[in-house]
Amino acid sequence: MSGKRGASARVPRRAAVRRVARPAAGRAARVPRSPATAIGVDTGGTFTDFVSLSGGRLVALKLPSTGRAPERAVLDGLARLGTVATTRVRHGSTVATNTLLERKGARVTLATTAGFEDLLEIGRQDRPELYALAPRRVEPLVPSARRVGVRERLGPDCAVLRTLTSAEAKRAALAVARTRPQAVAVGFLHAYADPRHERRLGRALASLGVPVTLSSSLCPELREYERFATTVTNAYLMPRIAGYLGGLARGTPARLEIVLSHGGTAPPALAAREPVRQLLSGPAAGLAAAWQVARACGFARALTLDVGGTSTDCAYVAGALPRRRARELAGFPLLLPVLDVHTVGAGGGSIAWVDAGGLLHVGPGSAGADPGPACYGHGGPATVTDALVVLGRIPGELLAGSGLALDRAAAERSLAGLARALGRRDAVEVAEGVLAVADARMEAALRRVSVEQAHDPRGAALVAFGGAGGLHACALAEALGATAVLFPVHAGVLSALGALAGGSRRERSRSVLTDAREGAALERAWGALERGVRSDFRPAERRGLTLERWAEVRYSGQSHEVPLSGGPGLVERFHREHERRYGFSDPARAVEVVTLEVRGASPDAWDLVARLRAAATRIAGPGPGRVRVRANGRWLAARVWPRAALTRTAIVRGPAVVADAGATLWVAPGWSARVHASGTLLLTRRGAG
Amino acid sequence: MSARRVARAGRGFDGVSLALHQGLFAACAEEMGITLTRTAHSPNIKERLDHSCAVFDARGALVAQAAHIPVHLGSLPLAVEAALALGPFQPGDTVILNDPYAGGTHLPDVTLVSPVFLGGRAAERGGSARGSREPSPGWGRSGAARRGRAPEFFVASRAHHADIGGGAPGSMPLAREIYEEGLRIPPVFLQRGGRTEPGVLALLLANVRTPAERRADLAAQQGAQATGARRLVEYARRGSLALAARGARGRGAGAAELVRAAHALMDHAERVVRAELAGLPRGRWRFEDALDDDGLGSGPVRIAVTLALGGGKVRLDFSGSSPQVPGPVNTVEPVTRAACAYALRCVLGGDWPVNAGAFRPLEIVAPAGTVLNARPPAAVSAGNVETSQRIVDVVLGAFARALPGRIPAASAGTMNNLLVGGRDPRSGEPFAYYETLGGGHGAGPGWDGASAMQVHMTNTRNTPIEALEHAYPLRVLETRVSRGGRARSAGRREPGAGRGGNGRFRGGDGIVRSLELLTAARVTLITERRARGPYGLAGGEPGGRGENRVRASAGARSSRALPAKVQADLPAGAVVTIVSPGGGGFGKPPRRAGRQAGRAPARVRRRG
Repeated sequence: MSGKRGASARVPRRAAVRRVARPAAGRAARVPRSPATAIGVDTGGTFTDFVSLSGGRLVALKLPSTGRAPERAVLDGLARLGTVATTRVRHGSTVATNTLLERKGARVTLATTAGFEDLLEIGRQDRPELYALAPRRVEPLVPSARRVGVRERLGPDCAVLRTLTSAEAKRAALAVARTRPQAVAVGFLHAYADPRHERRLGRALASLGVPVTLSSSLCPELREYERFATTVTNAYLMPRIAGYLGGLARGTPARLEIVLSHGGTAPPALAAREPVRQLLSGPAAGLAAAWQVARACGFARALTLDVGGTSTDCAYVAGALPRRRARELAGFPLLLPVLDVHTVGAGGGSIAWVDAGGLLHVGPGSAGADPGPACYGHGGPATVTDALVVLGRIPGELLAGSGLALDRAAAERSLAGLARALGRRDAVEVAEGVLAVADARMEAALRRVSVEQAHDPRGAALVAFGGAGGLHACALAEALGATAVLFPVHAGVLSALGALAGGSRRERSRSVLTDAREGAALERAWGALERGVRSDFRPAERRGLTLERWAEVRYSGQSHEVPLSGGPGLVERFHREHERRYGFSDPARAVEVVTLEVRGASPDAWDLVARLRAAATRIAGPGPGRVRVRANGRWLAARVWPRAALTRTAIVRGPAVVADAGATLWVAPGWSARVHASGTLLLTRRGAG
Repeated sequence: MSARRVARAGRGFDGVSLALHQGLFAACAEEMGITLTRTAHSPNIKERLDHSCAVFDARGALVAQAAHIPVHLGSLPLAVEAALALGPFQPGDTVILNDPYAGGTHLPDVTLVSPVFLGGRAAERGGSARGSREPSPGWGRSGAARRGRAPEFFVASRAHHADIGGGAPGSMPLAREIYEEGLRIPPVFLQRGGRTEPGVLALLLANVRTPAERRADLAAQQGAQATGARRLVEYARRGSLALAARGARGRGAGAAELVRAAHALMDHAERVVRAELAGLPRGRWRFEDALDDDGLGSGPVRIAVTLALGGGKVRLDFSGSSPQVPGPVNTVEPVTRAACAYALRCVLGGDWPVNAGAFRPLEIVAPAGTVLNARPPAAVSAGNVETSQRIVDVVLGAFARALPGRIPAASAGTMNNLLVGGRDPRSGEPFAYYETLGGGHGAGPGWDGASAMQVHMTNTRNTPIEALEHAYPLRVLETRVSRGGRARSAGRREPGAGRGGNGRFRGGDGIVRSLELLTAARVTLITERRARGPYGLAGGEPGGRGENRVRASAGARSSRALPAKVQADLPAGAVVTIVSPGGGGFGKPPRRAGRQAGRAPARVRRRG
């Protein structure tokens, strides 16, 4: 995961445009007087995005983020949009992510089984780079002086090998207190199976008056390093996030919900207890929204493409949103289920350069927001954005209207320099090359989530969003055989839209390591998880809950699991699924259930599809301009449409550029776009249906 | 990068189309690896990623490789070379081999090699410019028309299989001859015309301890081969990527362009490496070091290298190294090559493409009959895991003399292999457990060495303690970073076991790990740097040696040392403690011990 949503990294091109543009001025007129019924908010490092539903219309608002006190921008926006006590505000934030990446969290002390204090540092003992003379791992969030060994030991199968006495608990609590922590993490070996020791120490620590996270309550799953590290990260984030969410809740009368990494929401109190669950909420909300957009247009399968300044996120969705059980964020493991989004370091700000052998590279370095791409005029390097400017795909006229003069000459100069390094004369030709190489990297990322996972992307829709997704979409759709490109309403603020759409959701899991034939034991464990999930919902939400049971199953002795939905015939279904995935099954071998999971969703998820349809009415804006665009090795005359100018009946034939607030779409020759009933621009290739 | 440098990409390719082709070949190798990881069965391949996949040209020159394990870098071409002897090929053929004396490395590494037929003009006619047509099922065009034609490419995959038979579970016994180490497979057809040879598979499965798992992992490798071949055929149909032809995609230079691009990419990698080499001084430098022993009483085992730089070339001459030894620390040439390629890649900054062109400037002299190029039937299982580490140490040591102030001191220099086998009293079933342990990294000019991390030729992850205790009759009593004091040896003070060496910059610390056997078991240790710590540089002191010990029970007061390489039958309750070596220090330690760089607590320093 890159720092895509991080403070410094977020979408340089848009960033600079917006900084000057003061978009609120142009949009304030559209903010309705009637109070909002629901608002989605997404805070990034540079901007805080709002999408509000009021009086049957969707309104977008973009405000500059307010660095150290991010709640100020959120509260300001909520006030402007007319928030009242009945307004539901769904908020996804990068505050937790930035706190972790910038290492500005709390002073944490870890209490762990004696003899294993260094597990947090040793990790899985692998080095992050294979060919480095000076390999470095991420410094653990807790230094060795604040890792307290506790004399206790559990074995597998809940055996107590060494009891945690109350005297030892007291001693350990004192030792922890001496380190003057702002938050405490507790992680004992095998506590996923038996939480009693962790709870005993937790009670002894209560008198410290600082937040305590127990590994057995946060993520009771097998794999001690990942569990301890996740627990430590949670403790590290708690004080800051509790303060942030508390400030928000006090500052607005609205009903606040927080978006988590599974795409659903939870109330602020719960979210503040487990802030580690918010770390990947932004990409999750974007993915969830993109999938709804695809469904609204009648597609059953979608590729999603979110191109930002430094990186590109992509995913393949067919039916359910893709999930994975754990991942890493900037070197920190997260032993929690998250939506599966693949990230590559290729975005608008990716730097183009030529190596000593004469080969062109794009990325992984990025121009960031400062100095930014060459076309910002601050002496930045040649980037993908500069190539797009030189090719006429980013029409300067429209951006000039918002206050930022794109320095086209600087973009051309940067590419001319690149041309010299390549031994060529023509900057335009090289710009095409930079774009082709960038497209190839994004194509590889899309193939990674589709073809390479045995999913066929042909016939799927490619949903393009983020500031630059629309500029690459047609070429990528052609390369992958996707039938259509979808360019959603508010493509530049889709995560805010996704926050708005997410429903209330709670999930719990626990490693059980039980023989799969032990139906009664599994039933009991699932039942306990279900009761836990149910009680995590507010009483008012508990009616009509859907609870799904899942199990992670494997052959005894294997190290990887197959996810199966709960229910009868688990063993038989496992053999069949194993046969399907790996080409063989071994019915004589014992089958083991490693982890059980219950996912609960309340029925209050917004049907974004219907909302989008209702909100899709458009007003006619100014007519199209014209611009010269380079495509397929020739200069063509193309129309430039402000998005607001497109009516229901309009058909935009490529070559054309559609400029929206914070997002641009390139309609390639051979493609045509029309406005779908849901408001999304639907692009198809002429002659290809 | 250098904007001043104007380089022509050559062979009719510009820097853009070259970049696009490079992306394609790399993606092909990577996708093979992903298919293998996704469908493999055993943890060694799936979790520890002990495998690699690659694309080769018709003559067996490496085009692109996706390697997760450095020990596979640069060693695969010799496997393809060995397989080439079986030609002529037809579409759907796959050769299998693991013989270290015919393209392999050590027996557990099983390699598959398959020819790829792009189908020439026929494929272009049938191909689709949009890539939306159903791709061929793989292997290129089949049928009589293709027979007798030479393939344009080869794809290969190598994976470490958990057991390949022989004298001990895990196939790494302290052997004297390769026959004791497991089943030896010379290059033979596993698949002909897309059909698996049942006899070959049956013979193989009859000789290994876990046949179901082997069959599944081999199937995953075959799947990876098919994926790679299919992808190359698709590329050939895509048509030209040349800048001049953009806009005319699909007109189809196809197969011919792909072959030319592969060679242009090798030329490119050669240019990159030569440009890097141009910045190095001319001259010859010698360095030598030794393995503790061969596990059967011979040792130390000398490894010496002469590095010659100049004229855009690197020559590594291992003349003067020890003759081959009775124990299994001998290596075959591919392993020696891999270690040299790894070291060179680290020295030169590591970011260049891995293909045959990159290694053109590299010349390796490893005289036959030495420990670096053993003759059959020498045992070689530990050469791959231990000797490869020492080769890196001596090559980097020679570079340190050539480039003072750029190369760090020696890292732990061992994989600390531990194998435990016996019968699990809970189930009555036999079990076999294998782990490797990281150590301290050498300190460098400007940085302390990292602690408790895999070094050089391996990068496999550890098994979670909770999973290990659940699956095996073993209990982990401690896993921590070595933080002991100092020791006295032969009148000299040196860092305690596993501690990083002192210096202006400190070596990283090793790991201390204690395992209690819950049942009687056979324990095999194949470890190194137990006699002499990893060397320091520029006045820095060597890293603390590693140590292997055993005590009768968790509560026992006294323990006894175990040799660096040993096979022992231990009773239930015995505790084996392994301390992995620390990294060497760099630069003279400042006089006042308390004020120097490093992370050790001051009181430990003062004691030193």
